[in-house]
Amino acid sequence: MAQINDISPEVIEAAVKRVLSTLNGGASANPEPAHSPSNGAAGKLDAKKDYPLSKMRPELVKSATGLAFNEITLDKVVEGKLGFDDVRIRPETLEYQAQIAESGGRPHVATNLRRAAELTRIPDERVLEIYVALRPYRSTKQEMMAIAEELENKYSAKICAKFVREAAEVYDKRGRLKGQ
Amino acid sequence: MAKRQKRFEVLADRPVNKDGFIKEWVDVGLVAMDSPNDPKPSIKIQNGVVVELDGKRRDDFDMIDYAIADYCVDKRVAEEAMAVDSLKFARMMVDINVPRAELVRLAVGFTPAKVVSVLRELNVVELMMAMQKMRTRKQPMNQAHVTNVKDSAPLLAADAAEAAYRGFAEIETTVGIARYAPMNALALLVGGQVGRPGVLSQCAVEEAAELNMGMRGLTSYAETVSVYGTEQVFIDGDDTPWSKFFLASAYASRGLKMRYTSGTGSEVLMGYAEGKSMLYLEVRCIMVTKGAGVQGLQNGSISCIGVPGAVPAGIRTVLAENLATVLMNLEVASGNDQTFTHSIERNTARMLMQFLPGTDFIFSGYAAEPNYDNMFAGSTHDVDDYDDYLVLQRDLQVDGGLKPVTEAGVIEVRNKAARALQAVFEEVGLPPITDDEVERATYAHGSKEMGDRNVPEDLRGIDGFMKRGSTGLDVVRALAKRGFRDVAEAVLEMQKAKVAGDYLQTSAVFDDKFNVISSINHPNDYEGPGTGYRLTGERWELLKNIPQAIDAEQI
Repeated sequence: MAQINDISPEVIEAAVKRVLSTLNGGASANPEPAHSPSNGAAGKLDAKKDYPLSKMRPELVKSATGLAFNEITLDKVVEGKLGFDDVRIRPETLEYQAQIAESGGRPHVATNLRRAAELTRIPDERVLEIYVALRPYRSTKQEMMAIAEELENKYSAKICAKFVREAAEVYDKRGRLKGQ
Repeated sequence: MAKRQKRFEVLADRPVNKDGFIKEWVDVGLVAMDSPNDPKPSIKIQNGVVVELDGKRRDDFDMIDYAIADYCVDKRVAEEAMAVDSLKFARMMVDINVPRAELVRLAVGFTPAKVVSVLRELNVVELMMAMQKMRTRKQPMNQAHVTNVKDSAPLLAADAAEAAYRGFAEIETTVGIARYAPMNALALLVGGQVGRPGVLSQCAVEEAAELNMGMRGLTSYAETVSVYGTEQVFIDGDDTPWSKFFLASAYASRGLKMRYTSGTGSEVLMGYAEGKSMLYLEVRCIMVTKGAGVQGLQNGSISCIGVPGAVPAGIRTVLAENLATVLMNLEVASGNDQTFTHSIERNTARMLMQFLPGTDFIFSGYAAEPNYDNMFAGSTHDVDDYDDYLVLQRDLQVDGGLKPVTEAGVIEVRNKAARALQAVFEEVGLPPITDDEVERATYAHGSKEMGDRNVPEDLRGIDGFMKRGSTGLDVVRALAKRGFRDVAEAVLEMQKAKVAGDYLQTSAVFDDKFNVISSINHPNDYEGPGTGYRLTGERWELLKNIPQAIDAEQI
């Protein structure tokens, strides 16, 4: 299972970007979109066997840049070899944690973690801006629909896009849009 | 009265008579758990969609109804669950032969009115029995507030270290001056890891600012993400369920633990309780939280405790709202924070409701500073109550999350925390912490013993620190460079926690070896006497050996 996961295309791509970003003087690579993370033939993770991931399945845990969990060491930090993206979570890990939550009887938590997996691909500032845009009376329906488009097309955040469209409908119905 | 009866004169001067009490007043929602305006439980589901919730048709839903109906209620069990008689379900909650898992399975099919109808059947002892069984994590723990009126960073670091050293699993700060937030967060991050590696730290400020600090690795969790039980109050809080759901996902997307905050009385205080009982509105908050997929909730009235505290059965209701939270399979950080009474008796009695059965975090939090330095409007217990609290644990053989410590041990961690932060400030370009400040912070009772820092200079320093894009990794480097390698390791582990995401699961904390302890791998398995968490063995030896106890062999 570990081998299958280790050679997934997004990991290779992230590793390449990581090397390139180091060559370019440390500018960090963006986390890559997750394809549906595969845990190999065994399918879904099991809360009883696979949790905590960092102890039971460390081979599945990598940073947003594809760095293995046990390669995040103090020496590397001190030597300046690691950037902040090397201590960011990646979407696959959130999917694994979603599976753990589901298997542990918490499907609601899993839903949140899957929205979160999509948001890993969006820069911090933009996440904060979208949050503010979702506050009451901040956005017109068109503006919210545009955010949904952006989420879907630019960040392939399909669950979040649907969520924002739904919010736009509810805000419209309840008079909470800009100018209402 | 012309001539006073002397006993009544004495009673009139008792602290309890400085407290405010009010008779129930239904129209404004000044009623704890049973208002004639509370809806009757009902649900109708068509094609997997809730079309009626507690007597309201879908067309008439407000935002909160939509959020509960579409995101919280499990449509697969709703009809089965709603058919269970409320009294019967209440009895199941205190029946040791009915496992927790069965109650949790059904409860997610409940409507808010149904939850309230169950809770109304339970008296405080039964609520405690149910809490003992329903709490999500096996071992109860505790959270501290770490603040001071001067926003003195060296004192924050020392207090954070002592709090962590004494056993608090989470520490929370906030600010006197808003722009101090990143510096306070930094002081807790460093001080906390000195006191006890693995302690989680947070800085409660405005939502977006709080998330920003978490994204940079200055905090490891968040809690002050408020939800409310009526739509108008939600809007007045400048959010909607959708913006709050998005915020929850944003936190998780950066690997950060978070819980929501709510509490009885907030809707009354903000003027839109719709004549409903406080508990009914609070259960709506709990179900919004569940719907968001957030792992936990801070409730127990929190900053509105004066409101339920003033009405009949208000303190019983506070326990009932804690119980409703764990019934929804959520972590609960159960209040006991803001002061609500002048009476020591009331103060202790209110705390015992959570202390005796144990909750995920009994306090949220306990003042790890003298109360005059508590910037969350005070707490029911503070540093001067540490020994009373330790004796209560020992008297009743109850684990309240704190352990006895020695003066020498506290001095050591306080001093090291202040020195570590002094080194970090120098390395990351924040205004210096003097040796005198380190010395004062080590031995201080509170900020009265600290000098004044140069506030404009601090604020300029903080702005620069944030503009440079400094992160938790800069803190790690600074600590390692200046010889605090063990602290650097611990701060790095807190960054790595966000990569693994294990502590995003319900009710997660870390032990001092960074093993995650959550409801997933340490679920509450209480099924009556002889089961569940028992204060025995090594832990009991530790807690019962308070330094004041005389050892007969030494005489």
